[in-house]
Amino acid sequence: MHSEIFVLVGFLEIVLSIFMQWQTYILSNIKTFAIQSWILGIFLMYFGLFNGNLSMIILSLLTIITRAVFIPLYLSNTINKQTFRARENKHRVSVSLSILTSVLLAIFSYILYSLVLFEFGKSLISIPITLMLQGTFLIISRSNAYAQLIGYLVMENSIFLLSYLFSGLPFIVEAGIILDILGVVMIGGILMKIRDEDIQKEEELYG
Amino acid sequence: MLVFLSILQLLYVIALSPLAIGILNFFDERLSSRGGPSIFQEYYNIFKYFKKQSIYPSTASDFFSYVPYITFAMYLFLTLVLPIITAFPLTFGPVVDFVGGGLVFGAASTLIKLASLDSKNNYSILGASRASSIGIFTEPIILLIFIMFGVISGTNNPYVINNILQTSTSWFFSLVHLFIAIAFFFVLIIETGQLPIESHTPNELGSIDSLMSQEYSGRELALVKWGSYAKSFILMNVFLNVYTFPFFVPMKLNLLSVFIYMFINFFKITVLLAVFAIINNIVSKYRLFKIFDYIAIAFSFALMAMLVFYIVNGG
Repeated sequence: MHSEIFVLVGFLEIVLSIFMQWQTYILSNIKTFAIQSWILGIFLMYFGLFNGNLSMIILSLLTIITRAVFIPLYLSNTINKQTFRARENKHRVSVSLSILTSVLLAIFSYILYSLVLFEFGKSLISIPITLMLQGTFLIISRSNAYAQLIGYLVMENSIFLLSYLFSGLPFIVEAGIILDILGVVMIGGILMKIRDEDIQKEEELYG
Repeated sequence: MLVFLSILQLLYVIALSPLAIGILNFFDERLSSRGGPSIFQEYYNIFKYFKKQSIYPSTASDFFSYVPYITFAMYLFLTLVLPIITAFPLTFGPVVDFVGGGLVFGAASTLIKLASLDSKNNYSILGASRASSIGIFTEPIILLIFIMFGVISGTNNPYVINNILQTSTSWFFSLVHLFIAIAFFFVLIIETGQLPIESHTPNELGSIDSLMSQEYSGRELALVKWGSYAKSFILMNVFLNVYTFPFFVPMKLNLLSVFIYMFINFFKITVLLAVFAIINNIVSKYRLFKIFDYIAIAFSFALMAMLVFYIVNGG
C-alpha cells in the first residue's frame, strides 16, 4: 500500500516537472513547484502519522512551511515587482524536445537502476533519480535564473523523496537540506535584486 | 442472435452518429450563449447533400469518386468488430484485433488523403499535408497505447480488455491504466478534430480535416461527412467502452440488457460530448506548429504508462 502511494506521488511529481518544461511563464513554474512541495509534504505527513514517526512529522511540517509556502511566496514577490522578468523569451531547447527528453531521462534512470542500483532492492529508487535528472535538465535547458533556481529546488525535492526509501537517514541531515535550500533561495533572491539594473546580466547565473 | 445484434450495432452507429455531432454543436452554441441550429441539423444536411447533383473536378481521376464509398464501407466494417453495445464478440468480432482495426482506420484515412491529392485543389493538398504530418506523430502514441493494453490483458482483443477492466479493480485503478487513458484522451481530441487542435471554420489557417473534403459535392460529400461522424462516434465508443469507463457493457448474451445498455451508452457519449464542448469553449486553439508540443505531452503519458508498469512490477 505504501509503495503504491509512493509510486502515485512520485509520478505526480514527474508529471508536474514535465509541466514545468512546458511553461514559459516563471510565475506558473513557481506555482507548480509549490504544488509539488504540497504533495510531498502531505505524503510525508501521512507516512509519519501512519507510523507514529515524530521526526518525519516535523520534517513534513518543515517541508510545507519552507518549500510549499515560504519559498514560492518569496520568489513570486520578487517577480511581481519586476514583471519583465516573469517570462522566458526564448527556450534554449524547443518545448516538445525538452518534454521528450524529460521522459527519456525517466527511462534512462530506470535502466541506470537496473544496471547499477538493483542490489539496493526496490525499483522505486528510479523515481527520485528521474526527478533529480529532470531538475538538472531544467537547469541546463533554461536560461532564466528563476527557472534554474526552481530546477535546483526540484532536485532538492527529489532528494527528499529518496530519503523516504532510505528511512534510516538521520534527522539532522534532512533538516540540513531544508536550511540549505532556504539559504540558497535567500541568496539567490538578494543577488537578483542587486543585479536588477541590467537585465542581460541576470539572464544566467554565472558559475 | 449474434447476426441480429451485429446488424443492430451497425444501425445504432450509423443512425446515431450524426445526432452525436448535432448534440456537440448544440452544446458548443449554448456554451457560447448562442441559439444555434437544432440537434437534428446534421440529418437535414446529409439528406440535402444526397438530393444534390455530384460534380467532380475535371482534373481528378475516377479514384476520386470511388473513395467516399470505400471509406464509408470501411467505417461500417469497423462498427461490426468493436465493442460498442456488447462486451462479447459478435459475428465479425474475431476477424480483427486492435492492431487490425487501427490498420483499417489508417487505410481509410490514407485513401481520403490520396483522394484529396487527386482533386488537385491547393487547399485540399494543404489539408492532406497537415493531416499526414500530425498523423505521423500520433501513430506511435496509438501503437504504445495498444502495446500497453496488450501488456495488461495479454491479448490485443478489445473485448478481453473490456472484460478485464470491468472485473479487475486493481488494473482499473492502477497508474498504468490512468496514464493510458489520459494519453488516449489526447489522441481522441486529435483524431476527432476538437478545438485545441482544429477549428472548423472556413479559414484555412485553422482547419485540417475539413480542407480535405473541399472538392466533394452531392452524394459523395454526404458519405464523406457521414463517414467522419461514424469514425468519431466509433472512437468515442472505444475510448469509453474499452479505455475509461468499461462498466455496464453486457458481458453475457442477454437481449434486454443490450437494449438497456444502448441508452446508457448514448448517455455516456453525451457526457463525453459535454466535456468536448467545455474544452472547445475554454481552450484556445493551438498554433499549427505548436501542435507538436501537445503531441509530445500525449506521447510522454503513453511512455510513462510503460515505465510505471516496469517500475511497479519489476521491484
